[in-house]
Amino acid sequence: MTVEATARTYTITGPEPELWYRDLISCLQATFGSVLARAGADPLAVLGAGWEFLHVPGDVRSEEFYYPCADGDLGRALAPHHDLGARWWQPADEDDVWREVREQLAADRLVIAAVDNFHLPFRPAYGDVHAAHLVVIHGLDETRGVVHVSDAMPPAFRGAVPIQAFLRSWGSANPTDVQDAFFSDSKIGRRCLDVRLGTQPAPLTPELLGGYLRANTEGFTTETSARTGLSGYDAFAAELAERCRAGDAGALRELYPFGWAMQAQASLHGELLRRCGRDWDDPVLAGAGRAVESVAHAWTGLRFTGAHGLDAPRAVTADISHHATLLRGAYARAIDAVGAAAARL
Amino acid sequence: MGHLTEISALPAGIGLYDTVDISGHRNNTAISAATETGAGAFNVWRNSFAAEYLPAGGSLVHVDGVPFEFPPVCEGPDNIRCAGQFIRVPEGRYDWIHVLAASERRSEDTVELNFADGSVDAEALRVSDFWAAPPWFGEVRAFESLVMHYPHHVQRGIPAVMWAQRVPVTRRAGLTGILLPRNVAVHVFALTLQRTES
Repeated sequence: MTVEATARTYTITGPEPELWYRDLISCLQATFGSVLARAGADPLAVLGAGWEFLHVPGDVRSEEFYYPCADGDLGRALAPHHDLGARWWQPADEDDVWREVREQLAADRLVIAAVDNFHLPFRPAYGDVHAAHLVVIHGLDETRGVVHVSDAMPPAFRGAVPIQAFLRSWGSANPTDVQDAFFSDSKIGRRCLDVRLGTQPAPLTPELLGGYLRANTEGFTTETSARTGLSGYDAFAAELAERCRAGDAGALRELYPFGWAMQAQASLHGELLRRCGRDWDDPVLAGAGRAVESVAHAWTGLRFTGAHGLDAPRAVTADISHHATLLRGAYARAIDAVGAAAARL
Repeated sequence: MGHLTEISALPAGIGLYDTVDISGHRNNTAISAATETGAGAFNVWRNSFAAEYLPAGGSLVHVDGVPFEFPPVCEGPDNIRCAGQFIRVPEGRYDWIHVLAASERRSEDTVELNFADGSVDAEALRVSDFWAAPPWFGEVRAFESLVMHYPHHVQRGIPAVMWAQRVPVTRRAGLTGILLPRNVAVHVFALTLQRTES
């Protein structure tokens, strides 16, 4: 008797994806970092080049990977100074949901997939808490019935997950979960991200970075019709306090994922500037980086005051306003420091 | 546990150091037993440090040569979740305030130091994340729980870290009290004052 085994194994070539992680980033920057590293780029130089404030009222989703985008272009939002594209997609054929994943892997491309942690055996929330998250798929073995996944967020994981478990996670309704008010209640819907780096980044020079910094600071100091820059921050902070005062817990529920996006971005930008300041023997630039990192740290106070006050928004209004004021000051100092550093580059 | 950490049964107030009694301010439980992980709630997700990796409650521990009175363990609140508490200290001239602390994410906030002559100085209190993070502010890794307690299980692969940080006292005047920040992300487990050498 002859048994025909159909080759149904798809995997990227070369080593498994790099687990790219920093303690203030989310799965969004971590997964993009893995893709960028595999594309031969320095994730910090790409994801840390931009720095802005953008709040889009009514847009915040309860997902760890939420990020505000002015024009819906996630790649441009995360890397405004680089040729980075990012497109959400979902399987076109309900009867063959793996088709696009196979095609991507066959083309030697990583796939970033949205998942619900509740169904993934390697996540701490497994069988306990529903929460929207991103992982990298780097292999699919339909013969053995496993998906090869990497996830840089603690506890870092690279390995095989049973296809059935992954399908439950990938297709989860991610229902409302009282244990996670910030990342549940957001349908996963088998979403995936196609992230592509176009032109390879040019080597980072003081002149190039100086251009980035001038554009970033201009974004902070120029008023637009959107909630951008310092004026946009002021509008956001005033509305946040007002909604707390009115007992609107939704304001605090949105603050946590939105604030993570802004916090992660500031931490990466600050780290990049500090690294360049050290490498180029420029203490003013290094100090500007540290000032931007203080913005990231000030987001902690605001985000966690909101998170702990979720059940009593009125009661935390004064503390929310206090931390919003501290954060405003951190932004102002950092913009001043970055402007001064940019003028020398 | 950090390599610079020692645990001993020596009395407090040795050498240049005075441990500070913060028992009246403890308002949060960050440490739990493996048999009752739901009893801890260090952060908003109700994660907690695993008691089995930490010193005995009430013991005198030394971190990088600095003595701290370790809080009670699995006997109720074990730390101060900062909310602007004022901690009175024995009036005296001090150079450093040593802090055993941890944070929900990296925090950088301010403590206000009150002096007998009426002056007040603000100083930075910087505490790294307790969640599988490096000592971002250059702290000493005082104690490390190699597992993370979740309300319903013990999670391997995610350590919880307690840091030894310090705050300078630059004013040459008698310190009388410390106003903690209004920042619920910052948790203080113990305080020790280092006296000025005469």
